Amino acid sequence: MTDFRGLLTALVDGGVEFILVGGAAATAHGSTRLTQDVDVVYSRTQANLARLTTALAPYQPYLRGAPRGLPFSWDEQTLRRGLNFTLTTTLGDIDVLGEIVGGGGFDDLRPHAIELTLFGVPVLCLGLEKLIEVKRAAGRPKDLEAIAELEEIADADEDS
Amino acid sequence: MRARSRFPHDPVVQAYKAGVDRTSIRRNLRLTPEERMLQLVELQRFAEALRRAGRKARRGE
Repeated sequence: MTDFRGLLTALVDGGVEFILVGGAAATAHGSTRLTQDVDVVYSRTQANLARLTTALAPYQPYLRGAPRGLPFSWDEQTLRRGLNFTLTTTLGDIDVLGEIVGGGGFDDLRPHAIELTLFGVPVLCLGLEKLIEVKRAAGRPKDLEAIAELEEIADADEDS
Repeated sequence: MRARSRFPHDPVVQAYKAGVDRTSIRRNLRLTPEERMLQLVELQRFAEALRRAGRKARRGE
């Protein structure tokens, strides 16, 4: 079970620059769908890579689904060499993304993010319109049902 | 709810909209984002409890 509070608090307390995207962002906007992990787009600046590695290190990040014993090291160099990481931690699953399809990286998404208070901490969350846009761009069949609900939320929100 | 959406028409998405639980959406929109996340945590606990119960049942416990 993913500890949403623990993961988001660890990132915020660690000063990590990130934007919440994916299912948890959809929940924050009003989605009724159950999501199992945290998806974040992180800033790729040198300082932020250091903050991100430090923030998650206590929770032993490892490649989700990969066999144990691989030479995976959670450090700045690994983050610099890679981009998107699907991780499991002792707090649960987290996708740490340098870029997302249809949305780009942190700097591209920042103008479309809104600040929300979640679990008592300020979190940048991708805005609803952009969230729908990136889910459309991803083109995954499993997202189509989620898009339908998000569009209904956006339309209902506009009417209220 | 609006009769027409401002989003581009997609027949598959449109078909899924027929199954969207608008009552739950309206209820969620009355909550704060924080309350929605807390609700997700509760839902996640409930789902986990169901999974555990299912595993036990399959093992005949």
